[in-house]
Amino acid sequence: MVPDILSTPNPGPSGSENIITYREALWNSMDSALANHANVMILGQGVDDHKGIFGSTSGLAQKYGRERVFDTPLAEEGIAGVAIGAALNGLYPITTHIRVDFSLLAMNQVINLAAKYKYMFGGRFHVPMLIRMVIGRSWGQGAQHSQSLQSLFSHIPGLVVIMPASAQSILRCYDYAVSSHPGPVIAIEHRLMYDLKYRQEPAGSTTQASPFTSYKVRSGNDITIVATSIMVMEALRAADYLAQASGIQCEVIDLNCISHPDKRLILDSLSKTGKLLVADTSWPAYGVCAEVCRFVCEENPALLKAPAVSLGMQLSSCPTAKSLEDLFYPNLHDLSHAIARLVTGKQDHGIPLPDETSFADVYKRFKGPF
Amino acid sequence: MEFSSLYERLFYQSLRIRLIEEKVIDLYPSDKIQSPVHLSIGQEAVAVGICQALLITDLFFSTYRGHAFYLAKGGNLRAMFAELYGKATGCCGGKGGSMHLAAPEVGLMGASAIVSSTIPHGVGAALASKRLGKDQVIVTAFGDGATDEGVYHESLNFAALHQLPVIFLFENNGLAVHSRMQDRHAFQVLDHVRTYGIPTSVIPEGYDFCKVFEQFQPILNQVRRQAGPQFVEVNTFRYKEHVGVNDDFSAGYRSRSELDAWMRNDPLIHDRRLVEKFSPPIHAEIDDAIEFAENSPWPGREELLTDVI
Repeated sequence: MVPDILSTPNPGPSGSENIITYREALWNSMDSALANHANVMILGQGVDDHKGIFGSTSGLAQKYGRERVFDTPLAEEGIAGVAIGAALNGLYPITTHIRVDFSLLAMNQVINLAAKYKYMFGGRFHVPMLIRMVIGRSWGQGAQHSQSLQSLFSHIPGLVVIMPASAQSILRCYDYAVSSHPGPVIAIEHRLMYDLKYRQEPAGSTTQASPFTSYKVRSGNDITIVATSIMVMEALRAADYLAQASGIQCEVIDLNCISHPDKRLILDSLSKTGKLLVADTSWPAYGVCAEVCRFVCEENPALLKAPAVSLGMQLSSCPTAKSLEDLFYPNLHDLSHAIARLVTGKQDHGIPLPDETSFADVYKRFKGPF
Repeated sequence: MEFSSLYERLFYQSLRIRLIEEKVIDLYPSDKIQSPVHLSIGQEAVAVGICQALLITDLFFSTYRGHAFYLAKGGNLRAMFAELYGKATGCCGGKGGSMHLAAPEVGLMGASAIVSSTIPHGVGAALASKRLGKDQVIVTAFGDGATDEGVYHESLNFAALHQLPVIFLFENNGLAVHSRMQDRHAFQVLDHVRTYGIPTSVIPEGYDFCKVFEQFQPILNQVRRQAGPQFVEVNTFRYKEHVGVNDDFSAGYRSRSELDAWMRNDPLIHDRRLVEKFSPPIHAEIDDAIEFAENSPWPGREELLTDVI
């Protein structure tokens, strides 16, 4: 049950692909940013310690010097502001939040300043910077180490928000952010994906101008699943399961750029399938699920042959007890059930469902490759 | 304009700022300036004395009370009035307004309406200056209200930790909107700053542009030579209400006698000879700028969604 995430859109010539983990893609992106751009610096709490942001910055301080890769005080707003000032005067700062939740302390600088500096001053300034945030999940991370705040940031004009769901997205998007994008980019990474392996496309296998967009990662005629981050993996697992169990063919779209999704890709897919399921890592209300449904309803609600379905976290804070945590997140059983119901139009669809109830357990065992 | 002395030069610049803001007061009831204004009247000498010492390549991070800083750093007057009018020819194309003046061509790096929020920007710009060998000094200005905020403390720490070429310019008018420092602080500002190892200086005569300049210049030179941060407090007095163009001594939170004490020392009031000498050319320049603003086009619909990301 290993979905082939790179079967579309641009499979490389056979035998020319490499296997790479999400973590390695992050490290490679950080390494090449430092190697190729003399003005790049990485600053954040613990970027130069023995853990190196889960291995994504390990050894870079030694390799490039502590003037370019350095630890910071625990002062999230101050560091975000320092990064903005540094960007205004010629540096390209990459900052890190080991958990998304800590970025809330930097919200004033991110929303009131970084997002607005270009517009508010009539385009006189640019604030090119990359803010990396990591979503924690499972094993009792609890209410303050597990949030998935993509919609909060995507709500604000001026920010580009990406949620890489593959090594390839990291390699493309981070390089593009550092090399070509003149504004602030927020990258929300998923901790459970760090150890997963992905097939890496050969260089030059894509012709897309900007990777800040969405990708079709599986083709199918029966249902369109729009997913974010690790829910892309889950959607692909469910799709493969249902293809074997029932012949249902799911089309899966990796939203990837939450702030600037490829709406046309989604609408075109819906014109084929007529069924929409949105699977997000966060709460459905006022979030990605709500937004995807909003623009589908505004653009062409007639595309929907059945009511849309949202799948995300339960509407509570994240509980710590495993018995509750397993209920809090949707699992493969829930996802497969939702897909089967939507495709068949029947609550009692009779398709056998996987008995997997703990999402987290799977990712501890399963390492890919995707 | 030829000046016979530094005093005359700085007097001219200070008077220019005051007359410009008095024109804003005149215009305000017409609703041609549809945006909050925070006037610098009474505080002009701080901006003029500091900016006289700076090089054009030095960067200045301003506050929402920023007309004086914008003008003293060399910002264009036509572009300022056009910005206050919300016109396309404004320094920010009409998207900023009074609280967000910018003139990167002369190192005026913007102003924020969120108290204290540009302090870390000055620190970050100083980090870039040091790392990239730019030989710039960065000045980041703030009032006493900003010293309450957490990011102010975070910024002092970071600048001291990395020994950055930044000057914290504490423009102390004694009031955070209407609240006095003694009602807000359990600490002494300068004592606290020194705990970070940052040297502090006080310029009590914030009405005297020459004294501000003369005391600031050696501090600036020291930062340029040795790169570590410095903290400079300049005492000053805001003549007008916090926001808006009126007096507010009837509100009861401060007394007219405080104003009178500052006004007794204000050269822009007492040196009538220079006021009379310089006012005509300044008024001519202001009239020209207002004509430019009035005749400039509004930003069109095509501007609404440009420069977003």
